[in-house]
Amino acid sequence: MRLPRFFGKKRGHRRTGSQAWGSFGEATFYALLVAAGLCFAGLWFTGTVGFGPDTAGVPWAPWWLWIFAALIPGALLTFGGSGLLRTVRGWGKSEERRAAADTIVELLEPVDHDAGPARDLPAVPTCDDLVNSPGTILRYRLPIESPESWRLLGIGLFAALWNAVLAVLAVTAGIDLLGGRVEPVLLAVLVPFLAVGIGAIAVFVRRFFLTTAVGTTQLEISDHPLMPGGNYDVLLAQGGVGTYMGLDLTLEMEESASFRQGTDTRTERIVVWRELVKEWRDIQISPGVRFEAHATITIPRAAMHSFVSEHNAVRWRIVVHGRPERWAAFERVFPLVVHPLPMDASAGPPRSRQAVELHG
Amino acid sequence: MMCVPAGRRSVPNPFATRYMRTGALPPLDVAGHPRDIAALGAALAGLGGSAVIVGSHGSGKTTLLGALAEWLELEGRVVERVRIREYRDLARLVGAVVRCAGGGVVCVDSGERIGRLAGAGVRAAARLLGSRILMTAHRPGSLPTLVMCDTSSDLLAALVARLPCRSAEGVIDRCDIDETFQRAAGDVREALFLLYDRFEERVGKHRANGISGWTRVRS
Amino acid sequence: MTSQEDGNGVARITAPRVTVQFDRPDRIYAPEEALTVRYEVEGVGFASIRAIERSVVWYTEGKGEEDLGVHHFERIEAAARVREVVPAASLSLRLPVSPLSYEGIIVKIRWCVRIRLFFAAGRDYVSEHVFDLGAVPPARGTMERLA
Repeated sequence: MRLPRFFGKKRGHRRTGSQAWGSFGEATFYALLVAAGLCFAGLWFTGTVGFGPDTAGVPWAPWWLWIFAALIPGALLTFGGSGLLRTVRGWGKSEERRAAADTIVELLEPVDHDAGPARDLPAVPTCDDLVNSPGTILRYRLPIESPESWRLLGIGLFAALWNAVLAVLAVTAGIDLLGGRVEPVLLAVLVPFLAVGIGAIAVFVRRFFLTTAVGTTQLEISDHPLMPGGNYDVLLAQGGVGTYMGLDLTLEMEESASFRQGTDTRTERIVVWRELVKEWRDIQISPGVRFEAHATITIPRAAMHSFVSEHNAVRWRIVVHGRPERWAAFERVFPLVVHPLPMDASAGPPRSRQAVELHG
Repeated sequence: MMCVPAGRRSVPNPFATRYMRTGALPPLDVAGHPRDIAALGAALAGLGGSAVIVGSHGSGKTTLLGALAEWLELEGRVVERVRIREYRDLARLVGAVVRCAGGGVVCVDSGERIGRLAGAGVRAAARLLGSRILMTAHRPGSLPTLVMCDTSSDLLAALVARLPCRSAEGVIDRCDIDETFQRAAGDVREALFLLYDRFEERVGKHRANGISGWTRVRS
Repeated sequence: MTSQEDGNGVARITAPRVTVQFDRPDRIYAPEEALTVRYEVEGVGFASIRAIERSVVWYTEGKGEEDLGVHHFERIEAAARVREVVPAASLSLRLPVSPLSYEGIIVKIRWCVRIRLFFAAGRDYVSEHVFDLGAVPPARGTMERLA
């Protein structure tokens, strides 16, 4: 069993799927925190929970519980409020721009320096983010898209905060019941809080076991950015424990198009080219010894380069599909940047499209 | 006017958003006939100048709003267009209401996004300043309803017949139109996206015969 | 569009016609290659043209909103200069490295030369002539929907 790393050098803020749904999910999450904070602050301030300022007459309420009770709504409101503000401010902005804005102050101001195109290569994305981490064997370690550790941390924080509030409410309700008093408002709040709290713990535990048992996937590459016609060595390292029925490495090119009209926002993605680079079967991974294997990827000579504009993109990526014996299958995505061939390398254009042949 | 290279094998997809953006197609009624914009303009005046265009997703509200805005401009009215997408668009809306003081018309796309409280505030400001508001919404609201936009397969067929790029002829037929309309559950915009895919699949197959392209899909 | 009077003094609307001749007949150019086009405006006199814009741009076409990138743009307003570039003139420039023309499934990238005429009457007319930058073959996808 391996504890997930939250502070590895390679992470990033990449997102997949619908940006609108993602933003909605984030907003709901933070709004729930704010609601919980407001709810608890109200109960605390009115003395309903039994150790607020109006209940100084309760002699046995421990001082730490009072401070604890005051800290929780404050923390919930601060964390939830700042997150909600950040989400609302970032709504509708491109993922590159959102990722570029590291602080709330930056989010409040328009960002002029978009991740944008590479220098001298209009509409080709930069790969600065992809080459700032050296590999252990090959030149670069590629960052993973949507790191699971951060998702796990978010769910864990939510579960912890929510259940802390729940614990305080439950203790208060217990004290009231022992004292022969019944607070119907408190009990009414407690029931839905309990359901959400149990659900949050269940989701966290499931994800925790999934993340720790499956282990991290690391990918190193011999060079970056990639060029059409180039061959590149790739090192795949898979951690975890147990048997894998299969582990596949595929190279993909994906198109992405976003359309906004009126209230309707849609992002569509389609894989237009896919090549299975290598597959491994029946792998046994022992504790502390990760599975390592080399492969070679080839970018076809006539390949389209990576492209990004405000609403459209062509992206290259390596996808690792894993099928552990005892766990659900997983997919991990490592973005790549493919540059267009320079003039001297392309040696002039083919004079017709029919003449183009793919090699790879 | 667009000229495609003579030797080029690719055929422009007529359902690309480029050919369907607001204003590219005329507003049509449920039967597929062009709407009488002048009559709607007169009806709007009869309602006091402020009204709402009601309809579901992809029913042509934005197209109709755009046509009415253009007609109002030709009538010599001050017109401001605002699309509500983000919270900060509310500030733009307030600015537009102020600029339209004294009889101008603020044309608001996605009016239901304003919210009840902010909407009441904006309407009060408009009344105070003498601005008019014409907006689109999914449901009738506090402003009188100018027109209910409805859709039909005939409407979709009429739109396809009017696409500025004529390359759909011979590739997409009436059966495709009826099928996609059913699949999109009456959402014309969604149906046009489905027709995009259908066109691309069919033209792509022809393309496959002539050009060596991205053929290797092994998975 | 422009309006002209016929012999009877009746105004009729005539649409201008812009023809463009590329220095490569197949209209396929390599990255960083020089592009020369000769255009000719027919059906309209330079006196009725207020300004002309000549640009070389790329744009996206497909299921997403249209994005546009301008590689070259010039607007000619002075009457003397308009007289030089209408009805016929040439335009030469060096093309960039990217983005290459691309015929994808839901994303297409096209390059074009645009000639936009602004008339004294207020209307404008645009003529767009597509060419290819690079020779990336068209995509034929798995049509696998991910979102």
